[in-house]
Amino acid sequence: MVRMIASRLVFMVVAGLLLLTFLFGLFHAIPGDPARLIAGDSAPEELVASIRSAYGLDRPLGAQYGAYMGKVLTGDFGVSNFSRQPVLSVVGPRLLNTAKLTAWAMLLAMVTSLLLGSISAMYWSGPVDKGVSIFSLIGICTPIFVTGIVAIYFFGVYLRWLPIGGMTTWRHYIMPVLILGFAQTAGFTRMVRACMIDALGRDFIITARAKGVPERTIVFKHALRNALLPIITFFGLGLGSMLGGAAVAESIFNWPGLGRLMVDSILTRDLPLTQGCIFFFAMIFVLVNLIVDLLYRWVDPRLAHD
Amino acid sequence: MSLLKLYARDRIGLFFGVIFVAFYVVAVLAPWIVPSDPLETNLTEGLLPPSFAHWFGTDQFGRDTLSRVILATQVTLQITTEALLFALLLGVPVGMAVGYGGGLADAIVMRLTDMMLIFPTIMIAIVIVVVVGPSERGVVIALGLSQLPNFVRIARSATLSVRQESYVEAAIAAGASWPAILARHVLHNIAAPVIVKATIALPGFVIGASSLSYLGLGVQPPTPEWGQMLNEARNFLTRAPYLIIGPALALSLFVLAANLVGDSLNEALDPKLRSRRLFPLARMRRRSSAAS
Repeated sequence: MVRMIASRLVFMVVAGLLLLTFLFGLFHAIPGDPARLIAGDSAPEELVASIRSAYGLDRPLGAQYGAYMGKVLTGDFGVSNFSRQPVLSVVGPRLLNTAKLTAWAMLLAMVTSLLLGSISAMYWSGPVDKGVSIFSLIGICTPIFVTGIVAIYFFGVYLRWLPIGGMTTWRHYIMPVLILGFAQTAGFTRMVRACMIDALGRDFIITARAKGVPERTIVFKHALRNALLPIITFFGLGLGSMLGGAAVAESIFNWPGLGRLMVDSILTRDLPLTQGCIFFFAMIFVLVNLIVDLLYRWVDPRLAHD
Repeated sequence: MSLLKLYARDRIGLFFGVIFVAFYVVAVLAPWIVPSDPLETNLTEGLLPPSFAHWFGTDQFGRDTLSRVILATQVTLQITTEALLFALLLGVPVGMAVGYGGGLADAIVMRLTDMMLIFPTIMIAIVIVVVVGPSERGVVIALGLSQLPNFVRIARSATLSVRQESYVEAAIAAGASWPAILARHVLHNIAAPVIVKATIALPGFVIGASSLSYLGLGVQPPTPEWGQMLNEARNFLTRAPYLIIGPALALSLFVLAANLVGDSLNEALDPKLRSRRLFPLARMRRRSSAAS
């Protein structure tokens, strides 16, 4: 177990270094003069020239790469073109806001889908199952910006129950969390349902029924425990895609998170900020992957011996 | 065409198959069936509510929303078809080659796809847009590349399953070169599962294209796209909420139809998957039949 964690941590470091190299390449792969990109389209030629020498962009590529890696490894991701603040201090609070949004949405999606999926499998092909399936079908087929806009119109503009953007009070959390959670609940429920139908068809369920174990215990203890393994993997993957969906959800609800920051930085051509956002997002995905791996081994101890 | 026959037995699949095809017909015929010019602005007729002349109302520039939805259908379906072909034409040969050849190349390609699959496709697509720039061509490249690892894996695993078949051995014994074996024997036998998997991936392409355009990183105005139209409609929610109806309906209905068509095709190919389908049918009432 310790060796496994150690090897995964090494993998994380390697992934991080590769990622930084990739971001450095990205910076130079974008068509046009990097100094001009930093200065902006309308900047005078002297400013571009001074930026070129200040950022060392007139030096050979190898030296630039060394300097870039050296700076980044000491926590210096450069300065945002737009706000003129260090990238790290802009990204930090935004990262926390994204974490708050996705944590609540993830919790909602996990609890709802485990309940709905299990009940759906219990009453398989009955009206409850059909209802749950239609619900998850709607969730899978309507992109987050469609449900988001409809919710904003209905609850924010028409009924005036909820604020339509920002994150100052708990009321601001309701719509983004519900919408982001709903998008994931649909896929999760479908997966939980399939896994539970599979688990409920196994021999040990027949044995448990023959012993006279109450149906609730059979579903939520015997079947759910055995279905949990593929479900956890799916939840892990889902957390990743939820973070991807957060980029869209944050833009819809004006949530001051990392996803919206990234999109805004791309639209305002704020390259140092874009690089910082991509780096932190990517490291979150790598970290989530590691945690899912560890969870997986914890749920199924057989894997730890491989 | 036993696959199509099996497919036709599925009524839900058939119904949504018709809707699915209808979207493509609308896309191809778009220039001839639009009620009015989707791009011409007419400021005196701005933000009109739905009426007989304008079913979905008019936008802030007085353009007919129905006409824009129809043109957007063409734009979206063209982009996603191109991106799908891009991913297929690049991913399938690579997947077939490493699946058939194995060895170091296989290991490297698998590690690379593993790494890419850690990240959600929309994130990879956004990063690619940073390089290629926000445009229709950018969306095609971004979606195609971000979905590439899935296609490499599908082609690879399908190739692995036919590699040991006796007709491949016979071809080797007959002295055929490996590109010839791949092109003539392997490709022919993996085509059906690969195409079905491509259909299942299609809704993801459509949502990806619309999401990028919604964020302003995809199709640029004045060219209409479902996601981009919704982004514009968001600014007029108080004055003209009806603007969201057209693009939202078109997008959701198409994704729904594409999902169910992919589902039914997949099931026609592999009936064991019945318990995983999106919409349960009455004829699978007996639990024992799906317990496998």
